[in-house]
Amino acid sequence: MASTLRLYLTCIRNTLEAAMCLQNFPCQEVERHNKPEVELKTSPELLLNPVLICRNEAEKCLIETSINSLRISLKVKQADELENILTKKFLRFLSMRAEAFQVLRRKPVQGYDISFLITNYHCEEMQKHKLIDFIVQFMEDIDKEISELKMSANTRGRLVATEFLKQFI
Amino acid sequence: MILLQSNSRFLLQTLMNRVQNLEKGVELDYNWFEFDDVRYHIQVTMKNPHILLLSVSLPIPPPETIFLGGLPFGAIEAIKAAYGTLVQILDPPRDGFNLTLKINLSKLPTNQDQRYALLLKVASVREVVLGAPLRVILKNLAKRTVAPDLSPLVALVHRPNESFFLVPQADKVTVVYPMRFNDSIDIVLATSFLQEFVEARRTGGLYNAPSCTWSLSPPEELKEAPAHALSANAGFVTFVILPRHIEGQKLDRTAWNLSTFHAYVSYHVKCSEGFMHTRMRRRVESLIQALDRAKPDFEDSKITSQARSFKRMSLKDSKSRNNSIS
Repeated sequence: MASTLRLYLTCIRNTLEAAMCLQNFPCQEVERHNKPEVELKTSPELLLNPVLICRNEAEKCLIETSINSLRISLKVKQADELENILTKKFLRFLSMRAEAFQVLRRKPVQGYDISFLITNYHCEEMQKHKLIDFIVQFMEDIDKEISELKMSANTRGRLVATEFLKQFI
Repeated sequence: MILLQSNSRFLLQTLMNRVQNLEKGVELDYNWFEFDDVRYHIQVTMKNPHILLLSVSLPIPPPETIFLGGLPFGAIEAIKAAYGTLVQILDPPRDGFNLTLKINLSKLPTNQDQRYALLLKVASVREVVLGAPLRVILKNLAKRTVAPDLSPLVALVHRPNESFFLVPQADKVTVVYPMRFNDSIDIVLATSFLQEFVEARRTGGLYNAPSCTWSLSPPEELKEAPAHALSANAGFVTFVILPRHIEGQKLDRTAWNLSTFHAYVSYHVKCSEGFMHTRMRRRVESLIQALDRAKPDFEDSKITSQARSFKRMSLKDSKSRNNSIS
């Protein structure tokens, strides 16, 4: 299990390394505008082919690239309803703090749980390899956090139930 | 605090405070809620500082429950038995409340321990009133009989417009809770908690606890129940109470636990949500730190702050250096 996760993350890391070669590119339609082309998709010549990396049906990562911006969308595995709710809650919590994260998109791309938008400006002010480190660590942390949250909810449930039932003995 | 206490802490504190400063004519007028369903009101006037009016508003009963004069059956007898002459029931009660008690503080026993015990009992008024019908049924179970005038399916109110059901039999009482929650997160968490009840019962050490089942569909016992009581978004929990669970002292505790089961689960659901929030906040901080590490100036500032510190040379160092030079 752990090794498949490592393969999945390595694959994403390598793809990102290859994809993250962004340059400043002003908008072609409007003068003095500079927009992330991956969001607007106005000129097909500026877009590259999107890459979809799947670990399984529930876990996948879509990397869309353009000349001046890059969009990474993640789908996190949700085995049961509790995990589903925890994921939703946690990722919503993160998206609401997108301002602090700079590269986080406020809304995920449709069909995904969370998205990042990296522009050439981010690449200029941050080190590229560390930015990739961050994305990969983020993915690892989300998985870890959700499984820990689930475990703590279950442990608490067990404790609560045991204490209640002990009252009757 | 894992288990809920049967006395209202605020009420107990207010009472103790009042009793200790009985001579001082203070005006009191407090309103508060407990577990989102019971409302309390306490009033003391300047004129009669030793008379305390305590009003309790119970959750709105659904139509299938038996309410006599705004109180569950057996409540008036239970109040009289619990408080004796200390308390007088006012009829009609205060507007908007089900019960108003006139407590005469000058009639409290002088012995400190007895006085505290009685005040504790007053603070547990919720247990006395709402638990009264439950206690009547459980007492019959202790005698291994069924009250002849009771219907085979008794509904008792525990939340506004919601009730739980009891099936009293001579050798056991089956208690069924339709569990409802408003929030989708609450529903999921509560469902997983309730399944833990079933699991916990199976593990060692709890074989003597009441057997517990959980199902999404209404159990057999609720065949006769009205349709609106059969929709529960977090499933149905069933406990089977045997005579050994209500022996002697255990009766009060069992009645209290059964009448506040929903509050207990809901309290812990909210607690674990709060805990999750704290955790997520911490995780956000650590992730932001990870992102900051990607910024080159962040690293620079770290290095310069370290570079600013000087190594102070001591006298000994300079001497040894001089020696080596010479």
